[in-house]
Amino acid sequence: MTQEVDLQVKNLNFYYNGDIHALKNISLPIYRHHVTALIGPSGCGKTTLLRCFNRMHDLYPRHRYDGEIIFEGRNILSSDIDLINLRSRIGMVFQKPTPFPMTISENIAYGLRLKGVKNKPELAGRIEHALKHAALWDEVKDKLHASAYELSGGQQQRLVIARALAVEPEVLLFDEPTSALDPISTAKIEELLVRLKTDVTIIIVTHNMQQAARVSDMTGFLYMGELIEFGTTEKIFTNPDNKQTDDYITGRFG
Amino acid sequence: MNIEKKRKIESIIALSLSGLAAAGGLFWLIYILADVLIHGIGALNMALFLNDPAPAGIEGGGLKNAFVGQLLITFVATLIGVPIGVLGGTFLAEYARGKKIARIISILSDIMVSVPSIVVGAFVYAILVRPLHHFSGWAGAVALSIIMIPVVLRTTEDMLSLVPWTVREAAFALGAPYYKVIIQVVYRGAATGILTGVLLSIARVAGETAPLLFTSFNNNFFSFNMNGPLASLTVTIFQYAMGPYKSWHAQAWAASLVITLFVLALTILGRLALKWRYKR
Repeated sequence: MTQEVDLQVKNLNFYYNGDIHALKNISLPIYRHHVTALIGPSGCGKTTLLRCFNRMHDLYPRHRYDGEIIFEGRNILSSDIDLINLRSRIGMVFQKPTPFPMTISENIAYGLRLKGVKNKPELAGRIEHALKHAALWDEVKDKLHASAYELSGGQQQRLVIARALAVEPEVLLFDEPTSALDPISTAKIEELLVRLKTDVTIIIVTHNMQQAARVSDMTGFLYMGELIEFGTTEKIFTNPDNKQTDDYITGRFG
Repeated sequence: MNIEKKRKIESIIALSLSGLAAAGGLFWLIYILADVLIHGIGALNMALFLNDPAPAGIEGGGLKNAFVGQLLITFVATLIGVPIGVLGGTFLAEYARGKKIARIISILSDIMVSVPSIVVGAFVYAILVRPLHHFSGWAGAVALSIIMIPVVLRTTEDMLSLVPWTVREAAFALGAPYYKVIIQVVYRGAATGILTGVLLSIARVAGETAPLLFTSFNNNFFSFNMNGPLASLTVTIFQYAMGPYKSWHAQAWAASLVITLFVLALTILGRLALKWRYKR
């Protein structure tokens, strides 16, 4: 496969609360229109790494980045990056569904309005497109003006994905997107992830190794803030080079 | 006597004592409400709302001036108090979240809630009445708003804190600046809760007499002039109830009934809004 690099992480170190060294010298490529899974035991730094890509850490005091993440030729960790623009191009979906206290269509329109889309027919068209994209349209097309809270957890999560897709990001970050969902909803989200990669680059953090194996093309295994191994999902799950990786994926620890 | 029996007796004693205490409290509450209702309803008529007071000692007349003055003062107090309270609560829950300054302001605000209202009246008297040498509706409204602010501020802070942090993160992740996150997402999530706080705070100040006695004082004539003394129901009730005339007493009862019903309606509305919020 032709592999174009979308995001290049170079010697990334991350510190929070002043001096807690959460990520240690991490380097890895994120390939365009591939699904990259980050796996590892709790506290290994996978979510911390994910939240570097859209600079979510900047919401909290006393953090420090060191190193580079190159996105379209620029280091997105540099202080002169416009975070609003960055976040509209690198979207994020969280562990628990986070619908806004508005109607279903207003939820999708929110990001579009932030981007300055005001025209009503255009909004309606893009709302429909995003909902179809996230495989939610058929379930909600008759109640677009109902509160988003009326949807089930799995539907809410797909709504949130649709909301993130609506602003047409290049990259989508998923932070354990199915850990709060039932198996059927999980399967729907997984199908969606695989389908979405034709349009967006996906990075997913997951606790669930089967999920990583099912949906991802590339996998990175993190342990104690270090990237132990990175490679194709097939290789990581069948024939890893590193003993720790092997122990983790076979369930001997973590 | 075995221990089980002893415990049962103790339990019965505790139950009867607490039951009696509750009944005692309720008895006075119902007595007061019934008394206000019985005396007030007889004196209640349209003239009360449509006429200004008759000269002292003369039958008839109404309390139009006091109703209008009360509404005006309460309205202006709300206009001053609600924005300050809501913005202050926003500062505590959003911009100063988790910081020491937020805790200190919260505690001070809790103390403010329990400051006797007459102290607030005396304070506003000192800063707005004495220097200007006259009572005024503005001073009354400021006094009431000072009582409102801590109530609105704390409810706003609590209601904003109830909106899950992850929802804010999700809005940030779409590229929203913080002020838009607050106005468009967080406020919407907390709207009914904040509304409840506002309604309850209006109900709280609508029944205040002491702060108005020092500030807006009273006025026997109909007036919209916030720069001069302004009539209010509570001060009028105070004055009429102490007065020597039977007709004054009757009107004081009627005014008491109206203001009680007003406060009751606001409180019920506030509770309903809160209930509606949790049903969603």
